[in-house]
Amino acid sequence: MTAASVRLESVTKRFSGHTAVNRLSVEIPAGGIFGLLGPNGAGKTTAIRLIMGILEPDEGEIVLFGSPHNSRALSQRIGYLPEERGLYKKMKVLDHLIFLGETRGIGRADARKRAQAWLERLGVSDWALKKVEDLSKGMQQKIQFAGALLHEPELVILDEPFSGLDPVNAQVMKDIVVAIAAEGRTVLFSTHVMEQAERMCDRIAIIARGEMVVNGTLAQVKEDFGGRHVALGFTHDKARAANILADRALIAHVDDYGASAELQMAEGADPEQLLAALVGEGVGLRRFEVVEPSLHAIFIAKVGADAATAHATVDHTGVTA
Amino acid sequence: MNKIIAVVRREFVERVRTKAFVISTVLLPVFMVAIMFVPILLMSGGDRASRVAVVDASSTGLGQPVSQALESEKLGSKPNAKARYTVQVFPATSEDLTKVRDGLIAKTGFSGEKHEDGWNGVLVLTDATLATGKLSYYGGNVGSPESMTKLQRTVSNALAGVRLGKSGVDAALVKRAMAPADMDTTKVSEGKLTGQSGQESFLIAYIMGFILYIAILIYGQQTMTSVIEEKTSRIMEVLTSALTPFEMLLGKVLGVGLAGLTQMAIWGGSIFVLSSQRVPLAGMFGMGADAAQSFPIPSMAPGLLVVFLLYFVLGFMLYGALYAAIGAMCNTIQETQQYAIFVTVFIIVGFFAVFALIKDPTGPLGITMSYIPFFAPFTMPVRWSLTSVPPSELLVSLALMVAALLACVWLAARIYRTGILMYGKKPSWRELWRWIRA
Repeated sequence: MTAASVRLESVTKRFSGHTAVNRLSVEIPAGGIFGLLGPNGAGKTTAIRLIMGILEPDEGEIVLFGSPHNSRALSQRIGYLPEERGLYKKMKVLDHLIFLGETRGIGRADARKRAQAWLERLGVSDWALKKVEDLSKGMQQKIQFAGALLHEPELVILDEPFSGLDPVNAQVMKDIVVAIAAEGRTVLFSTHVMEQAERMCDRIAIIARGEMVVNGTLAQVKEDFGGRHVALGFTHDKARAANILADRALIAHVDDYGASAELQMAEGADPEQLLAALVGEGVGLRRFEVVEPSLHAIFIAKVGADAATAHATVDHTGVTA
Repeated sequence: MNKIIAVVRREFVERVRTKAFVISTVLLPVFMVAIMFVPILLMSGGDRASRVAVVDASSTGLGQPVSQALESEKLGSKPNAKARYTVQVFPATSEDLTKVRDGLIAKTGFSGEKHEDGWNGVLVLTDATLATGKLSYYGGNVGSPESMTKLQRTVSNALAGVRLGKSGVDAALVKRAMAPADMDTTKVSEGKLTGQSGQESFLIAYIMGFILYIAILIYGQQTMTSVIEEKTSRIMEVLTSALTPFEMLLGKVLGVGLAGLTQMAIWGGSIFVLSSQRVPLAGMFGMGADAAQSFPIPSMAPGLLVVFLLYFVLGFMLYGALYAAIGAMCNTIQETQQYAIFVTVFIIVGFFAVFALIKDPTGPLGITMSYIPFFAPFTMPVRWSLTSVPPSELLVSLALMVAALLACVWLAARIYRTGILMYGKKPSWRELWRWIRA
């Protein structure tokens, strides 16, 4: 078996005043997409910066590719898109990509070829000779994304890669991430958008307040969470369902979205009972489906209470996640 | 290594491409022309013929020998040179002295020939002049030390002649005895003539100090700004994951330095062109060829050039590293000022030491300062150009510079490593110390 791409062993990082990452242990196997989830301020970015060697852990150990070297020495094998997006504003797009490629150890001529190919792929080749500052935010993000992937790294670390992108661009990026994983490379990305993680990730880890909450393959996480879940879609007379949904003997938890809802059945309660009750009351249903718990539901259940307080712990260094 | 080259290239290319670089590269030679010729224009006030009214209120007819002495003064040393002074004597008595004098003063201080009876100055001689040497001069050019010195010397000589004549010394003998000594100065280095005159040495020393001063101030600050810019544009994070702080720092300092050297080379080239073309240029400024010739060509001996370039590069990198470290500690340009002031003080002290050294290049101050790495880039080339510096002294000074440079880059890289990702808060001195030790 090949060595894990990333292995964190009881890693702790403290900033004056609070612990950003607390005894975090996680193993990211080679290949596939790994989602690092957590509310704002959970320590996602700190964890990623620790992996990237930008911050040094106070305790614990980080091993990349089973190698004794740190990530800077291995930078040729790692692509990194930081949460804090930044490019040299006055540089031309193509020059900038070439420079980023060079810092990752590829030759100038090669870097130029690859940069052009990437600009083509992202549909921004017309902008190659424009200055970075002339580009829109979303376009700059695509450029930086290309910069992180130019050297075809075997491990790609993306911190909130889809934030601030319109649906079309988010789709383009998603396709690229999926393609990378399909080539057998490893993608680690952080997000707090659960739907995205649920659709893309093979494995996830949810952290809150710097500590591991849930860790494993998506299927495993869902199985462990257990319970029976029902997804409802309403057409009319939703108000009549109010009493049934409030019945704690029948339903343990309701996540109400207005026109739809996700329910966790109470221990021993039966979905058929619920359906009968809803039909009996005359509630108009568009959808009634017994489902796996959504990642969102798991997330809310596991870190719901924490998430509210985590916002207050943004530390002075500006490390926000 | 390739990574450092990439950083150097980026830093260099991006800098040279900017409008600011192009504009400053072109504008400075224009300023240089001004710097070269404005002082000549100002100084040449002393080289114009001036009209002097001599008010003779003495009972011994002092006006006559003084005016003769003045009239015999020439502009320049050529045989056909024009007379320096046009003189007219106005006899006066002690009663109407004030009236005569004030009448003349009323016609004084107009610029040259434009005013018909305009005088450049009024010289008042009384009986006291011969006895105690006391006399008064009222003129529009009293602010020019050179003109005043010349005038004073001429009058002194005339007075000395009159006094000697009164004591019975023969007039011809007096004239011979008063012939001025004419000294040519030539610099000697290691027992050989360098062909530089004293004035040229001074000029080269001054120009070198000035170039280094300007270069460090401009480009050192640019290194600092460039670090701040990287922090505010947040590109730092991508870079730190691929480059070591040392690579980033060295690349940056070298890249900015190369851009600076390129600019210096362009400027140096234009100095050369300007000074070889100074006669036609002087003509454009309405000056005579004489005035332009009086401005010496700053030619640099190859040895001096090597020493200067060596210290320039080392000094530049030393200060560049310091400025980069300051940039790493701060988040905005405003914040950097309170730290940058320390570095600026070093630079200014170094630069002004050059003036002290020009007076006394072999003194203990000069020797001490050439051993202090922060000052050596200013003082050593100047000492080298003014006197002969023992090679051992040069070597020790260079070794100290290299050691200090490495220490500074190391120190700066330590601060850089931690500081570049610190957004928001400014570090305290204690935190800084922690970063360095970390």
